[in-house]
Amino acid sequence: MLDALNNLVGGFAHVLSGGAVFHAFWATLVGIIVGALPGLTATMGVALLTTLTFGMGHDVAMLVLVCVYVGAIYGGSRSAILLNIPGTPASAASTLDGFPLARQGLAGRAMGISTSGSWLGTLFGTMILALFAPSFGEFALQFGSYEMFWVAMFGIVIAGSLSGGDPLKGYIAGFLGLFVATIGQETNHAYARFAFGNADLAGGLGLLPVLVGVFGVAEVLSSMRGQAVKAVASKIDSVIPRIADVTKHWKTILRSGALGTFIGAMPGLGEDIAAWTSYAAAKRASKEREKFGKGSIEGLMAAETGESACVPGAIIPVLTLAVPGSAPAAVLMAAMMIHGLNPGPMLAITAPEFIYQIVAMLVVADMVKMVYGLVLVRPLLWILLIPRERLMPIVFVLCTVGAFAITSRLFDIWVMLGAGLVGFILRELRFPMAPLVLGIVLGDLLDKNLLRGLVLSGGDVTPFFTRPISMGLCGLTLLAALWSIPGLANLLRRRKPSPG
Amino acid sequence: MSEVEAESPFDGEKAPASPRADLITAAVLFTLGVAIVQQAIAMPRFVEQSGTGLTAPGIVPGFYGVMIALLSLGLGLRAVGRGGWAVQGVATAGTGDGRRLAIAALLGVLYSGVLVGRVPFWAASALFVFAFTTVFEWDQAPERRLRRIAEAATIGLATGITVMLVFENLFLLRLP
Repeated sequence: MLDALNNLVGGFAHVLSGGAVFHAFWATLVGIIVGALPGLTATMGVALLTTLTFGMGHDVAMLVLVCVYVGAIYGGSRSAILLNIPGTPASAASTLDGFPLARQGLAGRAMGISTSGSWLGTLFGTMILALFAPSFGEFALQFGSYEMFWVAMFGIVIAGSLSGGDPLKGYIAGFLGLFVATIGQETNHAYARFAFGNADLAGGLGLLPVLVGVFGVAEVLSSMRGQAVKAVASKIDSVIPRIADVTKHWKTILRSGALGTFIGAMPGLGEDIAAWTSYAAAKRASKEREKFGKGSIEGLMAAETGESACVPGAIIPVLTLAVPGSAPAAVLMAAMMIHGLNPGPMLAITAPEFIYQIVAMLVVADMVKMVYGLVLVRPLLWILLIPRERLMPIVFVLCTVGAFAITSRLFDIWVMLGAGLVGFILRELRFPMAPLVLGIVLGDLLDKNLLRGLVLSGGDVTPFFTRPISMGLCGLTLLAALWSIPGLANLLRRRKPSPG
Repeated sequence: MSEVEAESPFDGEKAPASPRADLITAAVLFTLGVAIVQQAIAMPRFVEQSGTGLTAPGIVPGFYGVMIALLSLGLGLRAVGRGGWAVQGVATAGTGDGRRLAIAALLGVLYSGVLVGRVPFWAASALFVFAFTTVFEWDQAPERRLRRIAEAATIGLATGITVMLVFENLFLLRLP
């Protein structure tokens, strides 16, 4: 306990030293702007900013990326409230009550609710991370190759089942991602898989160029294809959060915080599902259900708290299992690897203080976000009005720089273009992107652990199913897969006794 | 999303792909899955090195290929069940302007694939931003066209120079 407290104090001292606060301010601002602009997502923001952090020390780099992540998820609510367009997919649930409030002349109050809900949500999730991540990390030390294989499989299955509404397409996207990760030299024999004699392909497809393509280029194409965004609330009342809005809905805040953090900790689900689930749970529990969708303060509070609590939640499995809880967390994990950090069970041994540094970074980002929530209203309104015809080419230029910068290969720019085109087509065909990203990120983990497990057992597959933790994870994976079969899920639901 | 009561206000955007589109997608993905399996089988097994052949490079991608083929078979059968075989017409699912999409994609490929690496990066970026903005704003209010072109040129130059200064001088990164 004392060790944990010492580490926590050390984490804050470390994060608040030097010019870190300056970095926190600019990075959170960038995050909020990226999140607020429709067409730019948190994932894209973290991916593009990863490029900028190459020259930084890993602690400053992580602070910058955590701030961008936290800021972007919050920033999405601005356009959700003012434009009725979610800045990021995570803010879609906020449009339901945020925009009606703005139409009633309460845009400022809605933004105040969003600020307080988001602030409390991130704080709640961060508290859970600080309390449970270290002990869960120690528990995860018991995981061997067999268990890690199932952790990766569970991530793909659960993300495929829940992230897009069509589990079949989710699974296909997940396996496509896993396949992409196999391209290039494998580790055992340095054999170049699917390279066809091409030296660039033998080097593999870089994670960052693929992610920048899938989230950056595909977003630019989607944005330019769609209809232009119009209409913005011009009059804004006070944005200072009201204490009564918080105290009256404390149960909603706690429930949404817990739900958001839990969903964040599930591999690959992410902020949008956290927001929708929190919103739905608040609606079920509310005495004023009829107000939901017509400007309910409770509804907006639930969505904002849920999505923001999801951010620290999504970082928990990154730190403890090397499995990301959301798409932006996947990019954050990739950035950790690029910076030489080794997320996963060994982190509790090699750098236990890093978990507390991340806690401190999240708290700092949350505080800075609060400050911007109070002062950054009118400038953001102006930024929201930048026409996409002028914004998107600049985003495309940044994507190109982001894809090239890590290894300085022109080939990576072609990878970005290809990934962007494929990502765009898959989106148009309603394939969810979260399992694809998770597949790309988890591919190496799954590949190594499956082969290592087989070698250790001399080709015997039974340890994958008989070791206690393996068996539990395998059961969870199967349950998640079976639950996604429509007929079977309905059958199970029908068997439940009806209340009363 | 099945447990969620609230409806997304963007249901129109999230309308499911047509059965026809799913059927074509399934066919393409099934072919890909089979091709992956075929390539995986053709990979060397390195039995002499490992003794067991359990570290053969083709095992894992082969497994993925089988899964992609099986799942896309499922997608195809589901599409047929939903009338994908009978329905004739457009295979795409999304809404929007295809012309705008084609122009954006073409300009993007010309910039990233042709200009970058051949022309100084700042100049390529300035040219791309200028062309992109001008083309997409061309049809708006013709009486203000000249002013918009001048603005596009300014934005292009500012982008090219700022990106070069920020990335190369401030963050010490190499640009293409």
